[in-house]
Amino acid sequence: MTHPSFEAQLDAYLDGELAAVDARELETHLAQCPECAQFRDGRLKLRAAITAHVPAFQAPTALRDRVREALRAAAPARASRRLTVPRLWRPLALAASLAVVAVGSWRLALQHAAGETLTDDVLASHIRSLMPGHLTDVPSSDQHTVKPWFNGKLDFSPPVYDFAGRGYPLLGGRLDYVDGRAVAALAYGRRQHLINVFLWPAARGPAAAPTTRTGQGYHLLHWATADYTYWVVSDLGLPELGDFAGLLRQADSAAGAPK
Amino acid sequence: MESSELARFETVVLPHLDAAYTLARYLTRNEHDAEDVVQDACLRALKYFESFRGEEGTSARAWLLAIVRNTAFSSRRRQRPDAVVLEFDEAQHSGAVADEHPEAALLRSAAKESLGRALDRLAPEFREVIVLRELEGLSYKEISDVAGVPVGTVMSRLSRARNRLQQVLREEEEG
Repeated sequence: MTHPSFEAQLDAYLDGELAAVDARELETHLAQCPECAQFRDGRLKLRAAITAHVPAFQAPTALRDRVREALRAAAPARASRRLTVPRLWRPLALAASLAVVAVGSWRLALQHAAGETLTDDVLASHIRSLMPGHLTDVPSSDQHTVKPWFNGKLDFSPPVYDFAGRGYPLLGGRLDYVDGRAVAALAYGRRQHLINVFLWPAARGPAAAPTTRTGQGYHLLHWATADYTYWVVSDLGLPELGDFAGLLRQADSAAGAPK
Repeated sequence: MESSELARFETVVLPHLDAAYTLARYLTRNEHDAEDVVQDACLRALKYFESFRGEEGTSARAWLLAIVRNTAFSSRRRQRPDAVVLEFDEAQHSGAVADEHPEAALLRSAAKESLGRALDRLAPEFREVIVLRELEGLSYKEISDVAGVPVGTVMSRLSRARNRLQQVLREEEEG
């Protein structure tokens, strides 16, 4: 019954590579087609077996040293070769690099002018959370463990969802401090990537659609619902991060203005 | 000047050495070859570092893995052009997909294979997508960049490779 292109679709779905619309369609189909559901179960079993039996390796220390040495030996050779670049190019190269610097600092200046210290704040919290032992105060993939953990620690009860079925498992929650207040931070995984979700009660105002920023190699998505201000940060590619944000927003609206 | 560039290279690229070594291990199926490939790849990477600007959408990891992959494949061609296990070309194989039940192929090996050995026996084109996806966690788009094939090909290769591995698992369970 299953045919190759459909199998590839199912694989893409399980890999979280399917657009949200297609994914929903496929989920509907999975619910009513035992054969496809069986196919999915086989794939999940395979994934577990690969995780258990096919190891990733660590580069041996000797190799690390060897590589460093080889690089050091190669670098001066490159530098001397570079001096033979025709003189004419050098001013051009300099001009180009100045232009890059100028654009860079111009952007930075604009950002700060726009009062984007909040972005810096969120980004700093994200980076701090990546340091060993900082990711979660309550490590759990169970939303019913994570949500009550916040009781009494915050003046609001944050909505907590798990999206393991969609390839974004909940890893846990923690308290964080952003924008001058205690906020809820939820950590999600995506393959080897981490996603941090920061949320706190919204300043009264209209719900806002997501906006995107990029800093230090991380993407930030920001939006507001009627109740909460959301920031989502990750080094994940923007399309996937957008997909994740879509799941969150969907879950929020399904929960119907959570308090 | 060159030392600061080297420092920048080391900061950007060396954190991905484990990933590079893992890919090289699975592509060469041999520790020593893997180390050579990684070292060669790092030197190549240094040479092309100027062309890598870490622009948006290109991760340093995927960039380095692409170089490792090409280094491994070119050294494989150089060293033992014929020593490729279970090589099959895309066209021939895609014809066989409709009746994809590779029991026959796998029953040939009477001994039960572990998953790792089954992976080693896959053609390199199929092995690499599994490693890039399952162990390195690359997105389809990144895999397509690394392997130099369209995303559609990445998808079909992944599906076929998984079908084969799953078959091995099933046999292990039954036998």
